[in-house]
Amino acid sequence: MELNTQATETSGLHAGRSELWKRFKKQKTLHLFVGLGMIFLLIFAYTPMFGILMAFKNYSISTGIAGIFTSDWVGLKHFNEFVNDYQFGRIVRNTLMLSLLKVIFTFPAPILLAILLNEVRHMAFKRFVQTVSYLPHFISWVVVSGIAFAFFSADVGMVNMALLKLGWIDRPLDILTNPNYFWGFAVGSAVWKEMGWWTIIFLAAIAGIDPSLYEAAQIDGAGRLARIRHITFPGMKGTIVVVLILTIGSILGGGLVGSNFEQAYLFGNSINNETSEIVQTYAFKIGLRDGRFSYAAAIDLIQSVISVILIFSSNYIAKRTSGSGLF
Amino acid sequence: MLLSQNQKDRFMDIVVYAILSLILVSVLYPFYYVLILSFNRGTDALLGGVYLWPRTFTFENYARLLSDSHWYLAFLVTVARTVVGAALGVLFTCLVAYGLAHRDLLFRKSYFTIIIFAMYFSGGLIPYYVVLRGLGLLNTFGVYVVPSMLSTFFLLIAISFFREIPVELKESAFMDGAGELKIYFRIILPVSMPLIATMSLFMGVGQWNAWLDSAYFVRSEGLRTLAYRMMEVINKSNAPLDAIAAGQRDAAGVTSYSLQVAAMVISIAPIVCVYPFLQKYFVQGVMLGAVKG
Repeated sequence: MELNTQATETSGLHAGRSELWKRFKKQKTLHLFVGLGMIFLLIFAYTPMFGILMAFKNYSISTGIAGIFTSDWVGLKHFNEFVNDYQFGRIVRNTLMLSLLKVIFTFPAPILLAILLNEVRHMAFKRFVQTVSYLPHFISWVVVSGIAFAFFSADVGMVNMALLKLGWIDRPLDILTNPNYFWGFAVGSAVWKEMGWWTIIFLAAIAGIDPSLYEAAQIDGAGRLARIRHITFPGMKGTIVVVLILTIGSILGGGLVGSNFEQAYLFGNSINNETSEIVQTYAFKIGLRDGRFSYAAAIDLIQSVISVILIFSSNYIAKRTSGSGLF
Repeated sequence: MLLSQNQKDRFMDIVVYAILSLILVSVLYPFYYVLILSFNRGTDALLGGVYLWPRTFTFENYARLLSDSHWYLAFLVTVARTVVGAALGVLFTCLVAYGLAHRDLLFRKSYFTIIIFAMYFSGGLIPYYVVLRGLGLLNTFGVYVVPSMLSTFFLLIAISFFREIPVELKESAFMDGAGELKIYFRIILPVSMPLIATMSLFMGVGQWNAWLDSAYFVRSEGLRTLAYRMMEVINKSNAPLDAIAAGQRDAAGVTSYSLQVAAMVISIAPIVCVYPFLQKYFVQGVMLGAVKG
């Protein structure tokens, strides 16, 4: 069943101009609805895309939207400036490391959790664990950082106070401020927050596996580990590939497990800046705080271009190796 | 010596249940800890040692929070943007989707190309800021609810949902002389309740948790959201120079830290309350998202 604007379909081939006009007039209210959406996209999605031009110009915010087009061209000046910025190496390293570490450690977590849950025969327990595990997905990163503060802060953190009381440490651990801990902390909190959510999709993949495969394997004497290896895991493969492509495509933004920007902004501070400053937080500070719009837009653009390249290349590799890609 | 298959299975059961129980506790306990802390006297909490229940029970943290005009206002703004933002988002996204769900709509292909392209590419934060500034949306309540009126992701989901609606429903209304807008409100929306529930939930939760737009596009203190206020307090107490701030106290034993904890509970509570009833919609949502992927 489907929606049609008219009961009888006119043949598209012989529809002349007047015929088309008649059809359009009949659909005019619908075109108005859709047109409103297109105007919305034009304003909020496409105008900012033209705004990328300002990365190659000397844009001043006082000139408004029109200024994007009228300001002077300066070529790659802003890009050169960023590359020669004394913070450049550090920021790029932090962005890449944070993104890479997050993918390596957070991608397998929901797959493992799904496999573990599938091994539970006690249905009520399975459902309870699953339901609880994706609760943190709906909590904002602000609250997560608040919880982290309540547990790990050097002054009032529960972990620190408990360890001090037990006499296991002499002075509080500076988990939230020491630059050495930042990446690990970002990865850990991302696993905590998003692991359960992505488990849903992998469990659905497992649910699609033919149960007779398990029965046959059992008759053949396969143990549980062997069944996981030869039935459960291969059954999830397609889903794993799709999620992996999505993850790699969005890797610089933080993958599928929470935005790098929010983590770096919320967990970052003046002391762990050494490891917590990433391209996005830097562009935000330079652009919106210091008002250097063109420079910040150039920094932003570098990241976007790398992301687009990653989307297309990961999709291409997936198509070549497994025969299935996203587009 | 080799273990028998049965012993191996037993051993695996133990490992599986142990790991899952550990995950269960590691997710639940932080929420529980924040909850008991919010009912504990602020100055007393600074001494540590509160693990399982409040040591000195008090409602003072919440009383102070609700009488503090900053927090109170932030709470109202957040409720308002959640209700208005989700309503606008659902109604507008579905309206556009309704038009696009007609398979014989002219220029359908071009419309879809425009949507898909907008889904994959964006201009980035800075040009976006310039556009919002040009529209006069900076520093207004509108910046919270207008740019989120159309979600391309839910647009595609809504289109595929509307296509499943029997065409006879629409045709009979057409015979009765109803216009498209009337059909949309009287026929299409009422039969699409599962879709509307899912969309309202996701958009509502997104609005309720949002703080980035408040940080990026708003300067006026009266328009701050709950999540933004929390971020402010947490950031302040995180910076070591301001560490004393966490210890600032008053006669009722309320500290800025205990206020922050109470605010966190208020921010989590609505989500936890709707959660058990509506999680099936959440799950539907992620599955729909996967299909799109």
